[in-house]
Amino acid sequence: MRGHRWLRVGFALLALATVSACSTKVERLDESQAVDLSGAWNDTDSRLVSQEMIQDSLSRAWLQEFRGRAGQSRPAVIVGEVRNMSHEHINTQTFTLEMERALINSGKVDFVANKSERQGIRDERKDQDLNAREDTRNAMGRELGADFMLSGTINTIVDPNGDTQVRFYQVNMTLISLADNRKVWVGQKDIRKLVTRSKLRF
Amino acid sequence: MSAGGPAARLRLPCAAACLAALAGCATFSDTIQSTERSLAQQQPKAALAEYQKLKPNAADRVLYLMNTGMLERMAGDYDASTRTLESAKGQIEQLRALSLREQALSITVNDATKAFTGEDYERVMVNNFLALNYLERGQLDAARVEALQVDVLLREKRQRTSKGNPYQEDAFARYLTGIIYEDEGEWSDAMISYRQAYEAYNRQLKAFGVAMPETLKHDLIRLADRMGIADEAKRYREEFKIDQTPSEAELLERGEVVFIVNAGLAPLKREKAVTAPNPATGRIVRVAVPEYRPRTHPFAYALLSADSASARTSRVENVEAIAIKTLDSELPGITARAIARAIAKDSLAGAAASSGNNSNSSGAALLGLAVNLAGVFTERADTRSWFTLPGEIHLARLALPPGEYKLKIELHGKDERVLDSNEIKIALRKGEKKYLSRYWIPTNLEVRP
Repeated sequence: MRGHRWLRVGFALLALATVSACSTKVERLDESQAVDLSGAWNDTDSRLVSQEMIQDSLSRAWLQEFRGRAGQSRPAVIVGEVRNMSHEHINTQTFTLEMERALINSGKVDFVANKSERQGIRDERKDQDLNAREDTRNAMGRELGADFMLSGTINTIVDPNGDTQVRFYQVNMTLISLADNRKVWVGQKDIRKLVTRSKLRF
Repeated sequence: MSAGGPAARLRLPCAAACLAALAGCATFSDTIQSTERSLAQQQPKAALAEYQKLKPNAADRVLYLMNTGMLERMAGDYDASTRTLESAKGQIEQLRALSLREQALSITVNDATKAFTGEDYERVMVNNFLALNYLERGQLDAARVEALQVDVLLREKRQRTSKGNPYQEDAFARYLTGIIYEDEGEWSDAMISYRQAYEAYNRQLKAFGVAMPETLKHDLIRLADRMGIADEAKRYREEFKIDQTPSEAELLERGEVVFIVNAGLAPLKREKAVTAPNPATGRIVRVAVPEYRPRTHPFAYALLSADSASARTSRVENVEAIAIKTLDSELPGITARAIARAIAKDSLAGAAASSGNNSNSSGAALLGLAVNLAGVFTERADTRSWFTLPGEIHLARLALPPGEYKLKIELHGKDERVLDSNEIKIALRKGEKKYLSRYWIPTNLEVRP
């Protein structure tokens, strides 16, 4: 009996003291391995979207049609804005850059520098005009104009119920002809997730 | 159940010592005085530096981030504030799950051992101020993300909260959401949000005393006209007695300044405690609960003028009333927990005191006393709250033809006295909305008696 009392007191004192300790652990992951932690948009979603978009865009008719035109070889594309209309802060650059890389490397499409990159390049050219050797100087006014603009949106629908949420993401990418505003390609990728929050933690 | 001699002799001086020591043991609201002082001296940068000297424990992490984020805003560092508040939001999300360890501690030690995740209104305010951060930095799409998040948050809340809590909706959050959608040109979403704000202001008038903002009346009519909902527009015109208001097309020909005043500071929680000896056992019993002390501030409205046009702010949110009413609705639960804790601690001390046999009865009595004292010492009210939130939020919208302006801002007190005035230069393009905000904190931050 007495022993129990001491035990109870001991527990009480233990309860009065809070101790928590943690150490950092790092584990390297394969790029293609899906790791979902919070249910928010992550690298896996970004990769799935860019893969789908790249495959789709390269296999569609717009590319053949453009090359069929007289005097044209490769279309020049510029990346416009991918607007985030979702309920999460998403860095859309990860998949626009991925798309750009894949399309350039396919050898079928040229990309021209976008609005923000261009200014830096023009400044450099201006600088060359003053400081570079005559035979290495790049003249102004010889930029390649884009034939198409790539833009898009990310939309979401969230349906919350207690600790469970259904999150639906829809990514739309559009390729618009700068000559006549024609939409030559529209790509779409849907991602649907069921997120169940844990009810207990330490 | 009376204890032996030596313990009785020890009890009185120990009780006195215990009470003296309690005065020295600080709750959260005691640790922020230097921050408050700097704010009252109109030095937000110094206040931020003072606050960052505090080393929060793990349970107070979210609160620390909320306050830091707000102080960074006050100091004009919007990007840092955005990072801090986003991080607070992430941590709140992680802390949503119930922790059995913290529940056990809150029953045996005190409520302040629970991880702070903020009241509902504080969580909504994280989104509101993030949206304002983005708007003031010209990132409309990012502000729209916050608007969508606040909608999810409020929808989840509606499923959870009981009828007794008057804070069912956040009128200002809905109104701000409407402004964001209108800026995006998403008319139907804007209309829906303005309508939600309209309903929320009507419903909450009694509880929080915030009347329908003047600007919202015009917004409702304008959007209803734009959407072609003639009967709804007519109803608003009759209800608000407004005949003429600029149409959406006219507004898009001009630029607009959306101006927000964050007036005063949210009320501070203080500890209200009863410490008394239990005559039946001779041990000390203590029950501590939090209470809000409202702060006085003389701010009434701000007048915004440029050239011949002017606009007056209306109050859009009364944070003080929301905070006080929220605590009122929770107090029965907090008090019940505090009493249960006092009983548990007292019976523990009793068990410890009677744990000895004849040979070590004084030892057991000492142990009983120690447990009693530990129990009393640790009985502190949870006085954590987001104290850097403004006490009230006021808003005005001023439409101006495109061009450059010297915008004059005059803050008026309740006695019509001008509290402060300044001028800022702005340039407006056609159809552009500029979001500006300022803080006004009285030099005298004393709480109402």
